[in-house]
Amino acid sequence: MTKPGVLRRRFLIGLILAAAIGVGLEFMFLTQDLKAGRAMLRQRIGVMMLQGLVDVAQRTAGTTDGIQTAVMEFAKRHSEVTNIRVVKGLRLEASTVAADTGDKAAPRRLARDEKTVFDQGQRLRAAVQTNRDEGVSRKEEIEIARGTGGELVLSAPLEDTDGSVTGFAQIQAAPSGEAVRPPSPVAPAAAVVAVVILFLIVSRFLPERKLSLALLTATLLVTLLGAYGYYGRATKDSALKMESQAVATRLVEEAKSASAALKAVSVEETPPLHPSRWDADVFRRPLGFVADNGTVIETKFSALRLQHKQELHQEFLATTILSLIVLALFGFGAASALVSTIIGNREAYSYTLPAMVGMIVLVFFPFLYGIALSFTGSTLYNSDKSITEIWTGLDNYKSILTNFQFAKHTAEGWVFNYQNFYWTLLFTIFWTVTNVAIGVSVGLVLALMLNTKGLALRPFYRVLLIFPWAMPNYITALIWRGMFHQQFGVVNQFLQILGAHPISWFEKPFTSYFTALATNGWLSFPFMMVVSLGALQSIPTDLYEAARVDGATRWQQFRSITLPSLKPALIPAVILSVVWTFNMFNIIYLVTAGEPAGSTEILITEAYKIAFEKYRYGYAAAYSTIIFIILLVYGSIQNRATRATEAIAG
Amino acid sequence: MSNKHKITEEPAHLPLHIFLVVFTFISLYPILWVFTIAFSGKQSLAISILPSNPTFWDRIRAITPWPAEFSLSNFVSVLTDQPFGRWLLNSAIIALATTVVGVFLACTAAYAFSRFRFPGRRLGLMSFLVSQMFPGTLMLIPLYIILVKWLGLGSSKLGLVLVYATTAIPFCVWMLKGYFDTIPKDLEESALMDGASAGTIFFRIILPLAKPAVAVTALFSFMTGWNEFILAATFMDKEVMYTAPVGLRFFVGGFSQQWGYFAAGSIIVSIPVVALFMYLQKYLVSGLTAGAVKG
Repeated sequence: MTKPGVLRRRFLIGLILAAAIGVGLEFMFLTQDLKAGRAMLRQRIGVMMLQGLVDVAQRTAGTTDGIQTAVMEFAKRHSEVTNIRVVKGLRLEASTVAADTGDKAAPRRLARDEKTVFDQGQRLRAAVQTNRDEGVSRKEEIEIARGTGGELVLSAPLEDTDGSVTGFAQIQAAPSGEAVRPPSPVAPAAAVVAVVILFLIVSRFLPERKLSLALLTATLLVTLLGAYGYYGRATKDSALKMESQAVATRLVEEAKSASAALKAVSVEETPPLHPSRWDADVFRRPLGFVADNGTVIETKFSALRLQHKQELHQEFLATTILSLIVLALFGFGAASALVSTIIGNREAYSYTLPAMVGMIVLVFFPFLYGIALSFTGSTLYNSDKSITEIWTGLDNYKSILTNFQFAKHTAEGWVFNYQNFYWTLLFTIFWTVTNVAIGVSVGLVLALMLNTKGLALRPFYRVLLIFPWAMPNYITALIWRGMFHQQFGVVNQFLQILGAHPISWFEKPFTSYFTALATNGWLSFPFMMVVSLGALQSIPTDLYEAARVDGATRWQQFRSITLPSLKPALIPAVILSVVWTFNMFNIIYLVTAGEPAGSTEILITEAYKIAFEKYRYGYAAAYSTIIFIILLVYGSIQNRATRATEAIAG
Repeated sequence: MSNKHKITEEPAHLPLHIFLVVFTFISLYPILWVFTIAFSGKQSLAISILPSNPTFWDRIRAITPWPAEFSLSNFVSVLTDQPFGRWLLNSAIIALATTVVGVFLACTAAYAFSRFRFPGRRLGLMSFLVSQMFPGTLMLIPLYIILVKWLGLGSSKLGLVLVYATTAIPFCVWMLKGYFDTIPKDLEESALMDGASAGTIFFRIILPLAKPAVAVTALFSFMTGWNEFILAATFMDKEVMYTAPVGLRFFVGGFSQQWGYFAAGSIIVSIPVVALFMYLQKYLVSGLTAGAVKG
């Protein structure tokens, strides 16, 4: 039974935290939304001005010096626009930039040091061309950069009457646009405080039971979040209205300014201006919220409002659920139990904390992230998309595991399809088994020899034989790769002394496999030797003496004394070396590199190549997950088997 | 009588010696080969150039691991003309930092796992074991995203140090925990009676007693940082930030065939690890097998 007051305190803390988190999140969402709206409005007005200018500039194409006059007229009517430039190919047609006066005044050829200007024109032209060729809007046709003082630098392509891009126009604009005031944090904070006070008052009159307190706090919380959420939606909605009105007003002004500019250079308005097309996105696609005459198109606008409403609604739902979870955690005591566990074992947790944080951030999280990637079609080219956008479910696993195409028919007849998963798996198992077998047998034989009583120079042999293990294995791999070189490698030189022909080791699967086997055998026998030697030396000599007294032969002694005593040391060593060899990336990658045709690829190197040579990240992740599952199954079987043998032995 | 018996029982030593000498020579041959190439002063991977009609002795010469003429030029130029000195320095900084961070993280965690009983202890130990089975290729892409895109540690030493230190944690923790378990608790209890704090006990009593195990942990962390190849090759895309392993591969990978530089560099890189390894290998073996038995 909890003490009186404890429950109320728990729910109070839960309510404070949940309300703070919920309202805080809603406040953040609203602030960001309004900020994004403001930025969008600035961009729309900027684009509108620029596109108006572009429209005028395009219409003056037939006149002499028309562009310069039109630009001056445009500049006169736009106090917030500076540094206008119109460039066609290599020529600067018009400019209001301070530096472009005197002998640098437009029109003139672009100077050498203005290559960036020329490049920008080329870039815009290429973007338009790409989008037209592909029939999609992929490359931005209007470039928007941020100037040093927060102003926008916008550039858009100029087109000929036949649609080909001939140049571009650039303006530097600081559109004022009535700013929607950012929401104040005072009101929501006050609301949270008010709700807490309300709880303190009402809970006095309620029995201190879980149910009543939970209902009270949940009601208060949902009301608070709902009210603030409603306020947020209303604020956003009025901001939207204001923005669209601002755009509409602006559009009318831009249309007037364009007409005036055209009049100044006496160009007819035929075909008539379509100012509504100037309100466009960065792909120059008209947004279509405002008609040519400056009225807001209601159907489009209400669709936009609805869309924003739904987004805010989803955000509201998510924050409410999160806050309710926080409230429940605290109210029902899970949090306090957790806190008391942590405090009770604070010493132990503080000792493990640094290692745990490191492991979680750099081992466990990447692992889970990798597994999540395995369900996606992630590649190098869509890595900026979120996981949900490229989700493909079990497709990767299906295509790996259900591909039974072991051989392919080509012009040269049937050839093995070494990239097949099952082939690689089979080869990996074969590779592991042969390597461990060689390592254990060579190591054991050497250990038995070195264990001979009274053998001179024993420490000397032992130290020298450990060298292969001590060498970094990537160096070993590269050395052996050199020694198996077809023309200059010492292995082939040696074969020639014996009268054989030199072998091109990396051209046939078997010889290629042999090089990797030799390399890995070389670096793995010392470990087995050292382990076996240690175990052999710990066998008491009186055991052998007793056996000899009983008349046992050397073979019998080996079978019934040596082998059983070796087992406890050898079994873990074998388990370890199976896992090592199964994942022996460096040897395969550096010695055979999978040659020929991927036939000597093991699972881990194949996964690496899929990821970093074919850039199919999702597929590689699925491949790696399968490797992990294989190892996990192996590990648990091994564990069970060892336990069973221990049980029998014990 | 027993003497006579023994003589017939024990195998003769001479054939053993012959076999062992031959086998040792064969197993040391690749190392001798590297020395030969390194001291030859040439970039060729052949020990000697065969004449067009080689005699038997020419061929024997071509596999004898002894340079035709001694020259230190490969060592000198690999350290001066080539950026290898820089790569070596990178590796040294990374490996030493990995050792410091890794030993600190492993010692504290292992002490807690050995001495305290707390919720999550078993889960933590098991998860460390299972993490040893995570395939490196599964971790590479997420690690790349976390380190390079989120933390902005691409082509930086800090990023590699953090990854190496954490990947070395599970092995080190299991090894150290096994060793801490063997240190009797009475020592700490009497220290507690004398008024020592938990920190004092850990730093003044446990760590000094566990010196051999700490040394092996240090060796293992150092070797992880010094020898690692894949992560370094993936994350370090600027040439000045290469580590020694990536640099060595740079000499002989692809179309590059600078075997002399490779050999000289290999010897320079191997000396510290081989020396450390020889010094500490006894502990390493017991640590490895002990950890595996408990797993």
